[in-house]
Amino acid sequence: MMIKRVYKNLKSTMLLFLWLTCSVAVLAQQRQISGSVKDAGGAGLPGVTVLVKGTTTGTTTNNEGKFSIMADNNATLVISFIGYVTQEVAVGGRSTVDVAMEEDTKQLGEVVVTALGVERSQKALQSSITKVPGMSLTAARENNLGSAMQGRVAGVNISKSSSGPAGSSRVIIRGNKSLGGANQPLYVIDGVPMDNSQFGQVGVWGGTDQGDGLTSLNPEDIESITILKGAAAAALYGSRGGFGVINVTTKRGSQKKGLGIEFNSNYVFEKVYRLDDLQEVYGTGGLAANPADPSGPQIYTKPWDKQSAWDWGMGSQWGPKWDGSSVYQFDGVQRPYVHAGDNWSRFYETGTSWTNSLALTGGGNNQTYRFSFSDMKDTFIVPNSSFKRKNLSLSTTGKFGKRITFNAKVMYSNEKMNNRSMLGDSPGNAPYAIWGLARNVNVMDLYGDPNKPGAVPVGVTTPDLKIPGEEYQQANNNWCQNPWWAAYQITNENVRDRFITSGDVRYNITDWLYVQGRIGMDWYTRNNYSLVPQGTGYSRGGSRSETTNFVREVNQEWTLGADKEFGKIRVNGFVGGNKMEREAENINISGTTFNVPFFASVINTSSQSIGYGYSKSGINSLFGSAEVSYGGFVYITATGRNDWFSVLNPKNNSKFYPSVGGSFVFTDAFNTLPEWLSFGKLRAAWGQVATANVGAYAVVPTYSLLGQGHQSVPMGTFAFGETIPNPNLNPALSSEIEFGTDLKFFNGRVGLELTYYTQKTVDDILDATISQSSGFNATKVNIGELSNKGYEILVSGTPVQGEVTWDISLNLAHNENKVVELAPGVTRLFIEEPRTRNAGVYHVKGMPFGMILGYKQAVDPASGKKVFDTNGYPVRSDVMEILGNGIAKMTGGLSNTVTWKRFTLDALIDYKFGGDIYSGTEVNLTGWGLHKQTLEYRDGGMPIEGVIKNTDGTYSPFSKTLTTNQDIRTYWSRLTGYAQEAFMYDASYIKLRQVQLEYKLPQTLLEKTPLTNVSVSFVGRNLWIIHRNTDNIDPESSYTSSSGQGIDQFAMPTTRSYGFNLRVVF
Amino acid sequence: MKHTIKLLLGALLILGMAAACDTDELHDMNINPNAVQEIDMNYFFTACCLGTASNGTSGDNRYTDWRTNVGTCAHAIQQLATTATGGIGGDGDKYMDGYVEGFNAPFQFMYRDVGKRATEVIKQTSEGGLFEGRMVNTKQASRILLAFNYLRITDWYGNVPFTEANKGLEGTFQPKYDKQKDIYTACLKELDEACAGFDAADVDYSLFKKADIIYGGDIAKWKKFGYSLMLRYAMRVSNVDAAMAATYVTKAVAGGTMTSNADIPWIQMTISPSEWTNQNGISRGFYPGDGGQWSASFLSKTLMDILKGTNPASTADDDPRLTVFTAGPIQWTASDLGTVLEPDPTKWIGLPNGKDQSQVNNELFGGTAVINYEKFCAVNTKMLQDDEPYQIAGAAESELLKAEAIVRGIGTVPGTAQQHYEAGVRLAMQVYDKYDATLAVSDAKVDAYLALYPYDATKALEQIGTQLWLSKWFNWWDSWCDVRRSGYPVLTPTNYIGNATGGKMIRKLLIPAAEASGNPNYAEGATLPDKLDTKVWWDGGAN
Repeated sequence: MMIKRVYKNLKSTMLLFLWLTCSVAVLAQQRQISGSVKDAGGAGLPGVTVLVKGTTTGTTTNNEGKFSIMADNNATLVISFIGYVTQEVAVGGRSTVDVAMEEDTKQLGEVVVTALGVERSQKALQSSITKVPGMSLTAARENNLGSAMQGRVAGVNISKSSSGPAGSSRVIIRGNKSLGGANQPLYVIDGVPMDNSQFGQVGVWGGTDQGDGLTSLNPEDIESITILKGAAAAALYGSRGGFGVINVTTKRGSQKKGLGIEFNSNYVFEKVYRLDDLQEVYGTGGLAANPADPSGPQIYTKPWDKQSAWDWGMGSQWGPKWDGSSVYQFDGVQRPYVHAGDNWSRFYETGTSWTNSLALTGGGNNQTYRFSFSDMKDTFIVPNSSFKRKNLSLSTTGKFGKRITFNAKVMYSNEKMNNRSMLGDSPGNAPYAIWGLARNVNVMDLYGDPNKPGAVPVGVTTPDLKIPGEEYQQANNNWCQNPWWAAYQITNENVRDRFITSGDVRYNITDWLYVQGRIGMDWYTRNNYSLVPQGTGYSRGGSRSETTNFVREVNQEWTLGADKEFGKIRVNGFVGGNKMEREAENINISGTTFNVPFFASVINTSSQSIGYGYSKSGINSLFGSAEVSYGGFVYITATGRNDWFSVLNPKNNSKFYPSVGGSFVFTDAFNTLPEWLSFGKLRAAWGQVATANVGAYAVVPTYSLLGQGHQSVPMGTFAFGETIPNPNLNPALSSEIEFGTDLKFFNGRVGLELTYYTQKTVDDILDATISQSSGFNATKVNIGELSNKGYEILVSGTPVQGEVTWDISLNLAHNENKVVELAPGVTRLFIEEPRTRNAGVYHVKGMPFGMILGYKQAVDPASGKKVFDTNGYPVRSDVMEILGNGIAKMTGGLSNTVTWKRFTLDALIDYKFGGDIYSGTEVNLTGWGLHKQTLEYRDGGMPIEGVIKNTDGTYSPFSKTLTTNQDIRTYWSRLTGYAQEAFMYDASYIKLRQVQLEYKLPQTLLEKTPLTNVSVSFVGRNLWIIHRNTDNIDPESSYTSSSGQGIDQFAMPTTRSYGFNLRVVF
Repeated sequence: MKHTIKLLLGALLILGMAAACDTDELHDMNINPNAVQEIDMNYFFTACCLGTASNGTSGDNRYTDWRTNVGTCAHAIQQLATTATGGIGGDGDKYMDGYVEGFNAPFQFMYRDVGKRATEVIKQTSEGGLFEGRMVNTKQASRILLAFNYLRITDWYGNVPFTEANKGLEGTFQPKYDKQKDIYTACLKELDEACAGFDAADVDYSLFKKADIIYGGDIAKWKKFGYSLMLRYAMRVSNVDAAMAATYVTKAVAGGTMTSNADIPWIQMTISPSEWTNQNGISRGFYPGDGGQWSASFLSKTLMDILKGTNPASTADDDPRLTVFTAGPIQWTASDLGTVLEPDPTKWIGLPNGKDQSQVNNELFGGTAVINYEKFCAVNTKMLQDDEPYQIAGAAESELLKAEAIVRGIGTVPGTAQQHYEAGVRLAMQVYDKYDATLAVSDAKVDAYLALYPYDATKALEQIGTQLWLSKWFNWWDSWCDVRRSGYPVLTPTNYIGNATGGKMIRKLLIPAAEASGNPNYAEGATLPDKLDTKVWWDGGAN
């Protein structure tokens, strides 16, 4: 009965609706109008809004820029798209309407995602915010998102550690702002912070770069990236935005008919880019007694038996000239005494990286979705090493009724890295062995057992008494690995499974007032094992370690916002709160010395230990922002935020910090300005950010247990390790002021952006290195102060427009950093040291962040002449002196895009100037007699001219000629130990970073296919080092992405990559 | 309806903000679930014991022993020799200063290991501490270990941080340097007070017994150890401060020094749980599996000549320790305890100090290239297993020092020099069965040795010095102090090309560069110049 009545009502309603629709149609004589919208270059513009003027009827163009709409003959279509001038076109009885859109240079109407995901027009921005479209990151397949941005953004200094495909990056925005902090920006994905923890860096004793959080993302999912550089821009993100914010916006679905399918396939090759230029005259050998004068000086000698060949098997190119004679090698075989050829190409392989991505997008009026899947397989130049990644993401946007909208997203990634290379110090370091291997030895002769590369083959007796299956060492140095053993037997693997998920709901209470809630989580587990197998030179018993890390960060956020116009005044503001909690846990089990031979399981080890770590921290925040604009040309914005930090004591864990800024679009304000000035804006902003660079539990001294005790008796220790806790720590405060202008000339053909900033951090929290006689290595103090100031310039232009269009953009930034204050009485703070241990990276009061110091050859202060001892060998300075700075002062890039018909050529050049690098590689190459500088006077006749220090402290002139082989050898050996200034290089470079040539197939070819867009590209990355000042290494050879920049020590060789990209859209 | 939603959302918002202000929850978050506010100081004491053995509680038990004890000191006093011209061994053998880790290591480890933990035990068991007035024995034993470690450090470096050291937790981050004489004055007093302060009736005695991995809580032995140290360090200043030496020699002998090898402080090391913490650092420094020193360092010619006696062709006149210290040239791999390549001791030779490989080939083998381990005697692997016990100090030393004190008339020491000399030699020879039962030396062999090489009052100091040197096999870093002080045995320094001392034996270790450039008190207070041939106070240097 009830159902029947409902049915009846429904039926009558439908009938009424049908009748109404038909009658309207009849009255207005509506019909189907189709058309296309193209850009200036003639390419279809997707997503353009087409509206019948005066009605609510509307649609958007599809992927090819086509649309169809019902309208009557007198209708006018309003066609609008962000960044283009809105057009009104009268239908005038036509059934096809084609429109060419013009870019709106004057309005500069592009919206930019600013703090907390708020979209604002660029006109309103008061600080420099740079947007990088996702497209420019995808083609060349740089696995690390940070590194992919290199050279693209003024004021962002990016260094990729020289450690392979899954290595970490160091992204520094407007200089280093904290002495002890990571200084790296906060990465935010669709409004939710992601974790960018590093799990290990190469250090003085070697090790592996365990990567960071930035390799998890699929570049194909990225719509765009905005970089919030200044404190005022980043202030709303709170403490973690203190070093800048990289805001990643992912792709979403769009309203469209049917299903959108995008397929992308990318295949690139990677090859070693040889930069070495070594001497190829003298062969392997060393000093030995001269048969003609047994008690006299020693002379350069070839290996005379298996043992001496083995003694000189590594890093000893101090023999006589190559002469083709037959000499012993480490394996007892005699081979010609000549250069054995190119061991680099014998050992390193051609790496490949193959990525396939598929995305499905679609949606209706109430909901859109995007699903994507991506698979990457990267094999690296080092044999037996690979990086694989699978990404899956699903995002949806939608609305409930008129007032509620939501977004939700799940991103899953699975990363598997096999055999990150051990670098820096020699153990496990294959590049070290390739550099230093006796040069008359073919690396293939070290391959050993064909079934176990690098192992002693059956039936071979080695000088070090290894048995078959153990490492086949080529030299009398347990710490130097057989490179095949390093690649195939010393293994590690880590697998990370990661979910980054977020959702937000917004309720528009009225048309100007809304409330929004958002929750996001970044959660991953990371399993890591490493194996040093039984029989390894430096660890004959072998060892194995298994570690599991869990990391979870959850952010909850609420905002209440309003956006209302009062005549010419518009007010846009919000208040909100955020609660962040981060938990990290790690469990490790490791063991040494395998019981059952060659059974590489941790349960098979004779001594086992466990480790456990846990930490939890949180930040609670309240914040607010208000933007007031007048007439669309004056904007004033003020923000404030208060953070409460769990890691500090309650009495000083709260900090409030404000920002304020304004922009004035004078081209909109005055009509009397000349025509050639199409757009002009002045902007200024001041902001503060508090940071608390402190781990959990670092303010109160507590006790814990040490290992598993001894003889079953527990042992106690301090829970905080080697850094003394400080209960009085306050948050550090960074203040920054910036001024800038954005100008466009000649209808936007030429653009200029200028920014000047000055920044200061006070109360910096630093781990001050203290005397070890205090019982500890460091203490956390609240004292440091440092400043940055600099400028950023962006010049863009379109010199040629028409059939050929050429866009050019040059960005340049200069930063001056100064360490104003360390702890009281402290003038130097140790950060990092190279394995040579004759130099180090220190903060020095009054100098820029991270100075490189080292022992120099002593100099007579009066005459400036170098000091020698009576033998004619260099004398070392008493203390370490300043050698340089590893951080470039000037960074930037030059980007060119040339379009001709269906071809687009994109080339990026990037450069850095004003930094230095200390090369441990060059130190060793010199000591080993491989560096070309050791050629001169090798057989004697080296003139020494300088001074000698007398016992009374005075200096006398001194000259001598070094005549014997032994003298020359000792001279170079002394130089490597006593004169580190000889191994400092200007690390400036200009590189052709990326080239992409794209060809879009003509639409006519695709008309009869389901395909709407097909393009093929050639892509290349790191193709050419245009300029460098180093001898044998890449100026970008720093092996760490920690603060200790500017140290090179047998890092991964530089590589070039090139390949193809295919993009198909259905 | 609309109203309700607004209310609901408003309420949620307020809740959200309230959560943002919940600072109690934030504070609780910063309590480490894996740490405590109070801990039994005996746990710290156990760590001090282990740390005294090999600094293993700082995470690398072989670092200081391998680099300083073996690499620098054993070679500098010419018990071991190497053909290496740089790196570990090259520094001590040839006085090269390019490689500084052996010179820096003790300073880098001692304070952060035993230093700070023993200081914490003393602090927490003293006035104002968590355990004020309690754990009396734990405190006294910790005082002995701490004084001992400070004395070692000052012996190696001269003036070092002492009164302000290990006070990082109290905010002293750059301690001042104290003069060696003042450190000696204070530490000898500390040893005296600690020995007197033990109390078997203490309520916490049972805790101490369990924690004491050296003596199992035997207070009498702790006192003997303390007084033996007092005797050692009193004698060490005897050339420069006769009064201090006499006072404490008398006190130590009256208090009772070690007279039996059963009195020796040993720490039994273990294979598990961690090779870096619990294993024997000296053993690991030689172990081939760790890339150790076995095929690089050999018994020196100086040592072998002494051990082989007057007639090298005969074993009858050998020192019984010859076959204890070495089994001859060996081939040692990780899986093989060491195959003896030459079992006949009459054919054994020692490696001369200060030579590189081609000099050895040339001078000893007529230009024939040799593999060192096939020709020269290596340290006996029976003493080098990873779980070997670690000997902190010896009993022989006390007897030999008493003999010396009598000869030189220092303090009041009962008995005759000869009695103490002979007792010292006996103790020294009979200590090695602790490593391996087969290394036991019978009384008959000791008697035969003493009969063959009797005490000779005219050469007493040389004999005593040489026996002291022999008795400190494995305790090379302390033997180096004896050699610097007494000049015995008379060693010929090496003079390899490019050496840093101009052919004089090393007399001081070098302060790490980070300390020298980081601690502003260094320039004021350290023993300068910080060079290898600078003498410390008791060696005749400036105070």
